[in-house]
Amino acid sequence: MIPTHWFLILSAILFTLGVCGVLTRRNGITIFMCIELMVNAVNLTFLAYARQFHQLHGLIFVFFIMAIAAAEAAVGLAIFISLFHHRETIDVDEANLMHW
Amino acid sequence: MLTADNVLGVVKILIIVGALLNVTPIMVWVERRGSALIQDRVGPNRVGPFGLLQSFADALKFILKEDVVPAQANKWLYTLAPMFGLLPALTTMAVIPWGRAFPLHNVRVAGHTFFEQPYLFDPIVTDANVGILVIFALASLGVYGLATAGWASANKYSLFGGIRASAQMISYELSLTLAAVAALMVAGSLRLTDVVHAQTGYFVLFGAVKIPAWNCFSPAMWLSMIVFIVAAFAETNRLPFDFAEAEAELVAGYHTEYSSMKFALFFMAEYMAMAAMSALIATLFFGGWDIPYWNEPATWWASLLTMGMFLMKVIAMLLVFVWVRWTIPRLKYDILMKIGWKVFLPMAILNIILVAWFIARRWI
Amino acid sequence: MIEYAVFFFFAAVAVVFATVVVIHRNPVVGALSLVASFFSLAVMYVLLEAPFLAALQVIVYAGAIMVLFLFVIMLLNLQHQHEPATRPIQQFLGYTSAAAFGVGLIYYLTKYAVLQSPTTPFVAGAREIGVALFESYIFPFEAVSILLLAAIVGALLLSARAGKGPAQASVTAQVDARAEHLP
Repeated sequence: MIPTHWFLILSAILFTLGVCGVLTRRNGITIFMCIELMVNAVNLTFLAYARQFHQLHGLIFVFFIMAIAAAEAAVGLAIFISLFHHRETIDVDEANLMHW
Repeated sequence: MLTADNVLGVVKILIIVGALLNVTPIMVWVERRGSALIQDRVGPNRVGPFGLLQSFADALKFILKEDVVPAQANKWLYTLAPMFGLLPALTTMAVIPWGRAFPLHNVRVAGHTFFEQPYLFDPIVTDANVGILVIFALASLGVYGLATAGWASANKYSLFGGIRASAQMISYELSLTLAAVAALMVAGSLRLTDVVHAQTGYFVLFGAVKIPAWNCFSPAMWLSMIVFIVAAFAETNRLPFDFAEAEAELVAGYHTEYSSMKFALFFMAEYMAMAAMSALIATLFFGGWDIPYWNEPATWWASLLTMGMFLMKVIAMLLVFVWVRWTIPRLKYDILMKIGWKVFLPMAILNIILVAWFIARRWI
Repeated sequence: MIEYAVFFFFAAVAVVFATVVVIHRNPVVGALSLVASFFSLAVMYVLLEAPFLAALQVIVYAGAIMVLFLFVIMLLNLQHQHEPATRPIQQFLGYTSAAAFGVGLIYYLTKYAVLQSPTTPFVAGAREIGVALFESYIFPFEAVSILLLAAIVGALLLSARAGKGPAQASVTAQVDARAEHLP
């Protein structure tokens, strides 16, 4: 039986990698992918605790998180596509129309 | 380490992988002679009696051909794409039961007696609790082979072919999964061994006639069977749904730029996926390994007969695949996508409601 | 014994491919590495005695969401768009703050989150999850289905081009072979 804190440490490492990606990259799609990585790290944490305390609620939460992440990915990519059609660039630093 | 579980597990894996790898040469011959029969011509008959060694000649040709790689292709992804294609084909057979379980007791090999305690040998590589979800999970990974092959070829026609094939596969995956839910509702479990066991009984008609309780004989399951078989054709990119690799339209779609062994891998992956889908159709709708009208005892020879029966059902379904390919014309791509979303998906959802109602009224 | 080997192998695979996502320039390679990372996370879920969610992870995340990402990357032909290099000050601040956050998190986890492993097995099959979803969690279940509908409508509206809708031809007009209808 693998100790629960090992899963938590793995989740922390993946979350940190996701944060690195979001803060450092300029490609919109890569930033989305790092956000999905962070959400998956959180899923792993939920499941580790669900097994630790024998609670089914953690599993149901992960189920809903997956559904919501799917919706978020669809809408986020649609936003990105319309941004790309207007500005012809994928650099998120160029999406600065609200900057004065 | 050398427990009975591990050793027999490896034996089962070798049997399955060996059987799957042999499907391609046999199916190539069946396809070419079968298509010739349907088209009123002879087919290959030079290499060996009845052209039976044609597959060896083809394999030799593939190995000896020059492997041409386009200059601007992404080398890593170009080489990895055919391997992605093989992944779902080989792994989905791991949870399909191909025979009846029987106990091994006092097996004498070379003077040593194994299995003093009876050991139940279950001919399924792994009887996962969520068996059928494993199949759908691995089948949904098959999209990456097509998409990566199309993109990594650095060729606009391959890219379009790859995107079309991927869009088609993900659209029909929904109908496939929802149609299979009906068979699972009847069995009451996600394990495929339970699905087969639920089909080992009999329906009694008019108090006298006994029909085996296979899902294909129950009228409530006919709609799900039709939707599942059509979606299986679309999932394996076989006619009438093979517009993405159609010879006349897109050269060869996503595998235009592939030659020799990489193309042979795509070819093999297609036939192995067909075999895996046929095995799944046989398990879900045609009773799996069940021999009709016989209560199979738990002995080794009865189990071998059930394995033979399963093989016969898979072969019958593969012949249907070949037959349909050379009979029905290809569907145009926009019609294909339109009926995938507007016809088969609503039918699959309505089918779930229908079968749920039948189960609630105890008509099944 | 074999559990530990599986855990370390797939944890290493997950971390390595996540690093490739963060570092590699080409978004297609990043997307495929993320698929590999999700697949190894699914193996982790099996180790956590949740096989149903492991299968769902592969079906939903690796099999649907990442296909969506790949489609968008391929259709917009993004590999030819060169991503400009991030300014060095942003890179430095980004990496160091993330590293500080990560190190702090792992330190506090090892200090305060070490718990006794549970001794009884955890039964979390499809039946238990189904019962919980349709009994205790029925309201969030229906709400999420409406949310998904809103997401579908939103995605279609956002990515539609202004002007005419998708090109559609009547099926009957296309297959009609009568002489007066030929062009």
